[in-house]
Amino acid sequence: MSSWAADPVEVGRRMDRVDYLVDEGLATALSLALTLGLPLLLEGEPGVGKTAAARALARAAETELIRLQCYEGLTASEALYEWNYQRQLLAIRLAESRHETLADADLFTEEFLQERPILRAVRFSGPEPPVLLIDEIDRADDEFEALLFEFLGEASITVPELGTFAAARRPTVILTSNRSRELHDALRRRCLYHWIEFPDGGRVASILRRSVPSATDALIASTTQFVGRVRRLDLDKAPGLAEAIDWLSALSMLGVGELDRTAVVRTLGAIVKTPDDRRTVLGSLDELEGRSHGA
Amino acid sequence: MLRAVDRAAFATAFALRLRRAGVAVGLTGVEAFVRGLAECPPETAGSLYWVARVTLAQRHGDLAAFDRVFAEVFSDAAVPVDPHARRRPATPPAGRDDAHARVPSGSGPDEPGQGLPWRTLPPTVGTEETGDPSGLRVPERLPSDLEALADVPFEQLDPAGLALLDDWLAAALRRWPTRRSRRMARHHSGQRPALRPTLERARRTGYEPLELVRTRPVDRPRRVVMLCDVSQSMQHHAAAYFHLMRAVATTADAEVFAFATRLTRLTAILAHRSPDVAIELATAAVTDRFSGTRIATNVRRLLASPHGDKCRGAIVLVASDGWDADPPEQLASAMARLRRRAYRVVWMNPRAAAPGFQPLVGAMAAALPYCDALVPADSIRSLGAVVSAIARSA
Repeated sequence: MSSWAADPVEVGRRMDRVDYLVDEGLATALSLALTLGLPLLLEGEPGVGKTAAARALARAAETELIRLQCYEGLTASEALYEWNYQRQLLAIRLAESRHETLADADLFTEEFLQERPILRAVRFSGPEPPVLLIDEIDRADDEFEALLFEFLGEASITVPELGTFAAARRPTVILTSNRSRELHDALRRRCLYHWIEFPDGGRVASILRRSVPSATDALIASTTQFVGRVRRLDLDKAPGLAEAIDWLSALSMLGVGELDRTAVVRTLGAIVKTPDDRRTVLGSLDELEGRSHGA
Repeated sequence: MLRAVDRAAFATAFALRLRRAGVAVGLTGVEAFVRGLAECPPETAGSLYWVARVTLAQRHGDLAAFDRVFAEVFSDAAVPVDPHARRRPATPPAGRDDAHARVPSGSGPDEPGQGLPWRTLPPTVGTEETGDPSGLRVPERLPSDLEALADVPFEQLDPAGLALLDDWLAAALRRWPTRRSRRMARHHSGQRPALRPTLERARRTGYEPLELVRTRPVDRPRRVVMLCDVSQSMQHHAAAYFHLMRAVATTADAEVFAFATRLTRLTAILAHRSPDVAIELATAAVTDRFSGTRIATNVRRLLASPHGDKCRGAIVLVASDGWDADPPEQLASAMARLRRRAYRVVWMNPRAAAPGFQPLVGAMAAALPYCDALVPADSIRSLGAVVSAIARSA
């Protein structure tokens, strides 16, 4: 296992190099996940950068990212593996037409096995173990969680016809959840846990600077302040980090140099997503702006 | 840091302290903590905090208790051990999370005449009228949004009433409205053939699929979300509604919330095996009971909280008498959002049981267009009837 993964500071530096800023907590969590080989469950409000963390980790570790998007009704055939039935049937017909006999063992071979993300992660053969992102596990149901237990505990998958595949090196598993459903205790027990908090103003500004390099410093500062104040209003859906990045990209693409009322109203759809919220923000524009100019 | 310390003993002792504070720490967490200390030895108190938190704390609701225990244990360290204190938002987060509430050491205060609907109401703190020294007060008829000190515990749960509601609920759940999920299961009358079992069966017949195995989407019963008003005006009916909340909370896949001026999630608390412990924990958790009412604010808080997604496609029961301190327009917009998100909204109003009741008053009239049904519910029997009515309408 790479020696750099054991030091949270070094992990933080590598993530910084791929333009994803981490704080001490997330750096420790990623470092523990890499060295102990345990899966990491990331929770946080939507738009705070959980999926982006896994992507950045794969880039920082110079390995592949294998992604599995969860939804209700996800089955083993979509997550683990599938047999290529059409090809098997063709092989049978071909053998019949040649008057050959085909045994079971010939039909269930590697040739007919279709790998899905989890089996791919187990059989990955690159220089570094891959990063497996199981995204939005709270959208899947209990049956799918039960499917994951063998894999999360032992990093092995059993294909009845072929045998058990065990990973040569344990893949780094990152699970993300939006807390729309209570995850089973048995799943939580097998994972490390980290809650990603929405960062404070200074950190938001540095993240925005990295994500949108074309924006001016003044624009970044005023945008950070504005988003911070909008978040303090009583909104149905408060803007997250992803929305702030989108808004800054929109403003900088439109060539806005300084944040004024017309620019805000034109691009409000990037941070405010419901009509009630839009009304609230437009109604409080005076205070949001007045303070911003005074600062 | 931590040189010459037996890591196993230290981790076990720390985990014991956490468990005493109500944080559920399993043996795998402790093992991961010890391995983490070995592989990434922490240099400062801050890094020790993070290693401990990532391995030992398993859910968001435990983080506050974890911070407290860590500060107690390492309080002589100069490093600030609560890095999130500065980053916490200025306004309190919407909706209280369901932290494990500790069981109070003594039993609740003795109240004379328990269970009688006409007992003297306790004096509320901060009302406009000057204090009446005799202690007897006319029940306040106007809705207020003031918080009050609640010395009055919730009623004791009557086992007979509870059993009655349980029976009703069990019978109703057999015919509960269902939703079609995306998971497929084998069924003889399904529309979609399943390839894998069909071919496995075809092995018997020389790989000719003579018999198709069909699948159908699984129907799951819809979730129940119950929002119960526990303000002063609802105090008489608190007993009956508490029975229903307990029955609903012990059913699978239900969420129960109580609100007056604040919203409290009671699902985990009321699902406790023993009804008496459940009521004690609920008494400790709902600190704003029998105070003023803010329906619109709390409905919005529910929708904005992490549990707001649980209302999606669910059957929402709102138990309130409609006396709201917030303006009716706010209630209308909040109920509109709730109606769009939920499958069905049923409003249970104890005042509707009175003859000649018409929902013409402000808040009730504003919320009425967004409710699928407004039903009278003032006693345990009528609550059972409500549940049966929902099942029948499936």
